[in-house]
Amino acid sequence: MSGEVAVPATAVPTTAVPTTAVPAGVGVPSGGAPAGAVPMVRAERVRKSFGQHTALQDVSLTVIPGEVTCLIGPSGSGKTTFLRCINHLERISGGRLEVDGELVGYREHRGRIRELRPRDIARKRREIGMVFQRFNLFPHLTALENIIEAPVRVRAERRSEAVERGRALLARVGLADRAGAYPAELSGGQQQRVAIARALAMRPKLMLFDEPTSALDPELVGEVLEIMRQLAAEGMTMIVVTHELGFARQAADTVVFMDAGTVVEAGPPATLLTAPAHERTRAFLSKVL
Amino acid sequence: MTAADASPPQRGAGVDVDAVPLRHPGRWAAGVAIGVLAAMGVHSLVTNRNFQWGTVGDYLFAEPVLRGMWATVYLTVIAMAIGIVGGIVLAILRMSPNPVVAGAAWLYIWFFRGTPLLVQILFWSFIGALYPRLSLGIPFGPSLVSGDANHIVPLFAAAVLGLGLNEAAYMAEIVRAGINGVDAGQTEAASALGMSRALTLRRIVLPQAMRTIIPPTGNETISMLKTTSLVSVISYNELLNATRLIYARNFQTIPLLIVAALWYLALTSVLTVGQHQLERRFARGTLPRVGQRR
Repeated sequence: MSGEVAVPATAVPTTAVPTTAVPAGVGVPSGGAPAGAVPMVRAERVRKSFGQHTALQDVSLTVIPGEVTCLIGPSGSGKTTFLRCINHLERISGGRLEVDGELVGYREHRGRIRELRPRDIARKRREIGMVFQRFNLFPHLTALENIIEAPVRVRAERRSEAVERGRALLARVGLADRAGAYPAELSGGQQQRVAIARALAMRPKLMLFDEPTSALDPELVGEVLEIMRQLAAEGMTMIVVTHELGFARQAADTVVFMDAGTVVEAGPPATLLTAPAHERTRAFLSKVL
Repeated sequence: MTAADASPPQRGAGVDVDAVPLRHPGRWAAGVAIGVLAAMGVHSLVTNRNFQWGTVGDYLFAEPVLRGMWATVYLTVIAMAIGIVGGIVLAILRMSPNPVVAGAAWLYIWFFRGTPLLVQILFWSFIGALYPRLSLGIPFGPSLVSGDANHIVPLFAAAVLGLGLNEAAYMAEIVRAGINGVDAGQTEAASALGMSRALTLRRIVLPQAMRTIIPPTGNETISMLKTTSLVSVISYNELLNATRLIYARNFQTIPLLIVAALWYLALTSVLTVGQHQLERRFARGTLPRVGQRR
């Protein structure tokens, strides 16, 4: 919360170089991904500014398929902005960002970077699931209708098949009996579980979670984290912006600490959460733990 | 404190409060005053022979009046259909990222809201004076079809265009407010699922915007029903014009105006009920059913 702008001048030169290498290297031993596989997400000195305000500065990060990456850091550190850049809800201002080997929002043609058409951007988004802090379920549709909307309308799946799969997904998140309920009739935890099922219905290869438990009553946090733990155990590639350090410690392969729009350090949870290399990380952890 | 702590068990939790109710003399006075005024009104309605209730009864279901009444209904439906469809299109155009498109929609709304409806209706009926011949063809090139403007835009078309195109300008603002009222997170969630802009608008945003669009649209429809009486100036034979034609012949002005007023009241009452049903339909998902909220 404090010192949003104070750090970058000193942090950038010292951290930009190690972080490009560290997350990728660290990820390999824990995950079973084959060496040399195409990374699911590769960010290279990504920059994002809103007018005068710089939200991201030289963010470099690699996410390996099948791994869980948790982004932690104070409010305003750019975690959410970076997450939104990955499925092009925000357009990056500089650097290079790839998902599964392809540029996000752009294509390369004869050595030039060209903007993609909205249709192509939409096609790429289908493969990236996103779960929002405030659920963003469609209030005029029931739980099941929320789940089957995109498979039927976007992927042109047969309705009967989508319904069958939608029911299976609801059962998986423990809500088999609430298929006909409208979002307003569900608790926050139930809504977020439906939102996760809705994202999974598109069979994504990558799942983005933007503070999925921050808007929940404390006693409802556990049920959502449990679903996410199961998902991680099944090998889903996940990037999770979170303040739940307990979840990060248990489920993450890599924890990335961000502050003032840059990656300060990244590493396996055992290292980063217990013996951080940077003073800024230590200060943050001492406040939240 | 201690005394209060000790007493509740003795009084018991379930005993009803037995208190002297507060008197409301003001309410009684207002009630009596309104009652007296109402009695005076009814008395005058019954005793003032100039109302000529017998004549009202004679003409209430007269054939020309009924024909005029149906013409009013017909005009209202068609003008509102043009208004609603036009309003949705204009609202979407106004939110276009293309400044020329958005500007054109703004100009339309500015013009049609900025001039009196009566003037617009007169303009449409005199379109033949402005453009004696209308033609369809290549811009600045040869024309493919052409005809006499007075044939292409007959009286009915002038009435409907005048009412509908004006209504579209007002509906556009209502629709735009409804769309803007939908949480931006809804559009983001739809985008994240790979839905296109058009699909998001049709399936996610508009159904939710309907909840805020319906009540003012109901008001617009009720207002339109009565505004159709303006086209009597171009002699289109709707309800008001039908009664005017009758009293021009028999000079029973007051009873025939009462006939018209009674029909307008009856029609707006029907519309009010319909509006209520529509509002309930589009409140889906916002009204918790049988007390299971949260």
